[in-house]
Amino acid sequence: MAESTTDWQDRYYDIDQVLNTPGPRTDPAFLAGDGVKDFLRNQAKILVIGAGGLGCEILANLALTGFKDIHVIDMDTIDISNLNRQFLFRQKDVGQPKATVAAEFIMKRVPGVKVTPYFGKIQDKDDDYYLQFNLVICGLDSVEARRWMSATLVNLVDPENPESLKPLIDGGTEGFKGQARVILPTITSCYECSLDMLNKPTAFPICTIANTPRLPEHCIEWASVLEWPRVQGDKKMDTDDPEHIGWLYTVAAARAKEFKIEGVTWSLTQGVVKNIIPAIASTNAIIAASCCNEAFKIATSSAAYLNNYFMLIGTEGVYSYTFEHEKRDDCPVCGGEALDLPISSELTVEQLIELLVEKQDVQIKKPSLSTPTSQIYLQAPPQLEEATRPNLAKKVIELVPEGGEVTVTSSSLPFSLSLRISYK
Amino acid sequence: MKKNEDAAAKKKPKTSAAQIRVQKDLTELDLPSTMKTNFPDPADLLNFSLTITPDEGMYKGGAFVFSFAINTNYPHDPPKVKCTQTIGSQIYHPNVDLEGNVCLNILREDWKPVLNLNSVMVGLQYLFLEPNADDPLNKEAAIEMSKNRDQFLANVKSSMRGHNIKGVQYANVLAR
Amino acid sequence: MSTSEAIDITTALAQPDSKTRRYDRQLRLWAASGQSALENSRLLVISGSATSTSVLKNLVLPGIGHFTILDPATVSPRDAGNNFFLEGESSIGKSRAQEAVRLLAELNDGVEGRADTSSLQHILDTDPAYFASYTLALDLLWADETLPTLVVVNSAGFLGEFFIQFHEHTIIDSHSETAPSLRIDKAFPALLDYATSLDFASMDPTDHTHVPYVVILVRALADWKAAHDGAPPHTPADKKLFKERVQAMKIKFDEENFDEAEAQAYRCWTETRVPPDIAALFDDPQLRALSPASPPFFHLLDALRQFTLAPPHTLPLSSTLPDMKANTTSYIHLQKLYKARAEEDKAAFGPSSRCPSTTPSSTRSSRTRTGSRSCAGRNGARSTPTPRRWVRAAAAASSPKATATHLALSALAALATPHPTVAALTAAAQALLPPGVALPDEFADAVGEIARAPTADLPNTAAFLGGLVAQEAIKMITKQYVPIDSYCVVDLVETWTGIV
Repeated sequence: MAESTTDWQDRYYDIDQVLNTPGPRTDPAFLAGDGVKDFLRNQAKILVIGAGGLGCEILANLALTGFKDIHVIDMDTIDISNLNRQFLFRQKDVGQPKATVAAEFIMKRVPGVKVTPYFGKIQDKDDDYYLQFNLVICGLDSVEARRWMSATLVNLVDPENPESLKPLIDGGTEGFKGQARVILPTITSCYECSLDMLNKPTAFPICTIANTPRLPEHCIEWASVLEWPRVQGDKKMDTDDPEHIGWLYTVAAARAKEFKIEGVTWSLTQGVVKNIIPAIASTNAIIAASCCNEAFKIATSSAAYLNNYFMLIGTEGVYSYTFEHEKRDDCPVCGGEALDLPISSELTVEQLIELLVEKQDVQIKKPSLSTPTSQIYLQAPPQLEEATRPNLAKKVIELVPEGGEVTVTSSSLPFSLSLRISYK
Repeated sequence: MKKNEDAAAKKKPKTSAAQIRVQKDLTELDLPSTMKTNFPDPADLLNFSLTITPDEGMYKGGAFVFSFAINTNYPHDPPKVKCTQTIGSQIYHPNVDLEGNVCLNILREDWKPVLNLNSVMVGLQYLFLEPNADDPLNKEAAIEMSKNRDQFLANVKSSMRGHNIKGVQYANVLAR
Repeated sequence: MSTSEAIDITTALAQPDSKTRRYDRQLRLWAASGQSALENSRLLVISGSATSTSVLKNLVLPGIGHFTILDPATVSPRDAGNNFFLEGESSIGKSRAQEAVRLLAELNDGVEGRADTSSLQHILDTDPAYFASYTLALDLLWADETLPTLVVVNSAGFLGEFFIQFHEHTIIDSHSETAPSLRIDKAFPALLDYATSLDFASMDPTDHTHVPYVVILVRALADWKAAHDGAPPHTPADKKLFKERVQAMKIKFDEENFDEAEAQAYRCWTETRVPPDIAALFDDPQLRALSPASPPFFHLLDALRQFTLAPPHTLPLSSTLPDMKANTTSYIHLQKLYKARAEEDKAAFGPSSRCPSTTPSSTRSSRTRTGSRSCAGRNGARSTPTPRRWVRAAAAASSPKATATHLALSALAALATPHPTVAALTAAAQALLPPGVALPDEFADAVGEIARAPTADLPNTAAFLGGLVAQEAIKMITKQYVPIDSYCVVDLVETWTGIV
């Protein structure tokens, strides 16, 4: 692509107004003018996780604001139910990978922008991959994937290397509600810190489902939670398979009839078993715009960025709440401490434990130790203590490589302690 | 061991939040002598079983085994717990069905990330001390328990010896 | 399954068609009724700016019926850079309305788009009836009772605001998150008979644990009234005693249904009445002057008013029964009683109702007249009526940050010059306040941002406003959910929204 010709005169007339001049609340460190434009347009590299409802909007906004090197990861293919909001996709794209179709659309529509798609899982990529970006924006609907991404970026932080701190901007929506937040890994509250703020999917007591159904949802859960494993055995339920939904619907409808309960429909069955969350273009637009605006401000320093959580409730008027979500000391991801521990290569596990118990600034009672792939020594339960006891006599170096990580838990710690082992 | 070990080796492995949390939960378990965990593979902390041997109440003398399966989204997701006796046979309990499903609120509707494995285990043990006939999973057992308590107690005893009650073969759960 | 063939056919019929599948994620919010309202709506958008196309995108996707972009302009290099619904450099020089309509219409085959390259002034001069066919108009600064509902959007750099001018907005279903009245304090005869006929003492213990809390309360209240000359619990001591009586009905300590009853006991002494916001609507002059030509909403309202004149002086009963601890039989029985009564109420509600399919008890309405509201015009300053000034002064005191931003944006519109200075903007803002009222301290932060980027239509700001405005438009078109009734102000430096 002939990149030199793409920036026609006045292409960035609007954006340049905020890049040429600081505002009253702009950090004095902001260098208005060509330097910041060059960084944004020729150097910044940004990663977008998810090419769905939020992802489509995010990609379009980033491209228009002048980010030209954008990467996008998504493991899904396009479904017809995406078309009411995922505006980079058309009917003919159904079945195609979201990341690829979205990337092609953006490159066609916004000249000079390079979008590199990856059709796969975020877990496929290693630290080096994530280290190449300046910023990461997450537009995901999966709690698990967001926990992974947040933890990965927290763990990427090397205090010696400021470049290793990758701001994470996370957005999420549900119907007319949504939130956007800025996470500076290890500095501000991370995704894991706010895990208990999440709404959990509705679950009904299993005895209600089994014996006293009252709602159509109870009949549907009866079909999916109790009848499916009983009748289908080990066959895995695929909630995207219309035949499976059809089976569940039929079973649920029969049960509803038996109990004189009204309201079991195909759509409700699908909604309950897939835990479908309503989604509309407008809410995604608001949240994605907010995420991209934070990315723009962080990348350019043209204005202060969100500190650190924006919550929107659009069901009655426009209500929003901007607040600082506090970092949690007992967060299993960013709380606790990471300690660099140089030890003798002769040190045994038992001696390491003694060291931790006696070390003035730590003083851990009955520590249990593990590496990411195996247990070193667990104080309890008895069977695991016994299984790991032989390790006590081993040298640490036999179990932990140079620079390896050891996770220490103990009832005397708020959550855990992470040790980075090096050998003298 | 795993297919993508090569890819994993290239990446610097990192202990996940779920892993740390499970390690913490397990090493800080505070169980009475009536409960024991068993790890078929001591290196796998996410899959294990719990044996409950009540020392009082109508289930005294029995040994009841529950399987625990914890996924990588723990503690956002609760552990999956099922009652597992020898295949094809079940336990006779109003709150455990013949498929091994257990009706315990904190395993589903009342699960919260602040709860831990200890709370689940204590909850399970409570089911053997105070079975709840009002919200049953095994309806027959529940009806018997509320309508004909003596017969129910006799059924519990006989089921625990591995007898057949109303056409259902129960597992011999007597503790050895 | 023995009847598998019959079931297969039913299953096949139950599967949604492709249109339903396409709209699945939104139908779960506003259902078929909301969707049909959207599909019948016609939207007029003045100008094909980045903000306009952002709004339109969010309305074309969910499936409005028709949109027109009225814009005589051609695409400038700057438009081509910041509007996603133009094709970069290749659109430069073409009609902005035509390009935007072409690219927006691609989003949804079910939506009709039209480009009108006339100027607004021309339409106003030659075809005043032009606007009558539209449900909603965007970005049109014109206050006239004959025009459709109007949304005005104004932004500069990181700041923006919009307001909606509607002559009348009536909501049939507000999706209120508060639970419907169960009328426990005014139990209808069938419910009362059922509750008093139960013999709690000799009941099977399992059944006892599954009596729905509604029935427990109706019964406990009936017993209480019988012993207190027909009066419900009144004093705090009464209420405490009543709750203790409910707890004393338990035969086992862990009967959750009685715990639910205790928690809901307030329903026994909180009288079910016509909610004040609806009662206020009954005084509407349009009701007194009701004629066959009045809008359907007022016929519904009138029927509702007449209904409430008779005892028990409540809204018609809702047939929705929330889930509660109960066994199937007792819950379904109770549900039947509520449904039957809801049907009776609906019948009594009268044939005059033209909206029999809606659940009348969830009728809520919000209504705003905007006669005195005005905004600085696009063609230069307009005089601001005094009342609005005092409204601003009050807002400056109660929400200074949002008001400061609103004043700065209003000053910009009033000046209508491309490069206003902070001093000129400050003077213009001061003129929007009553004499002697000072600008809020936060004004400096806002006006500085405006002076920095007075004509910048930033893509992120446009997308943010586009989302908010589309959301309000959907609420108004579907007549579901409650829209804003004042200025909504947005600051994307600190990322907050506020209402003035």
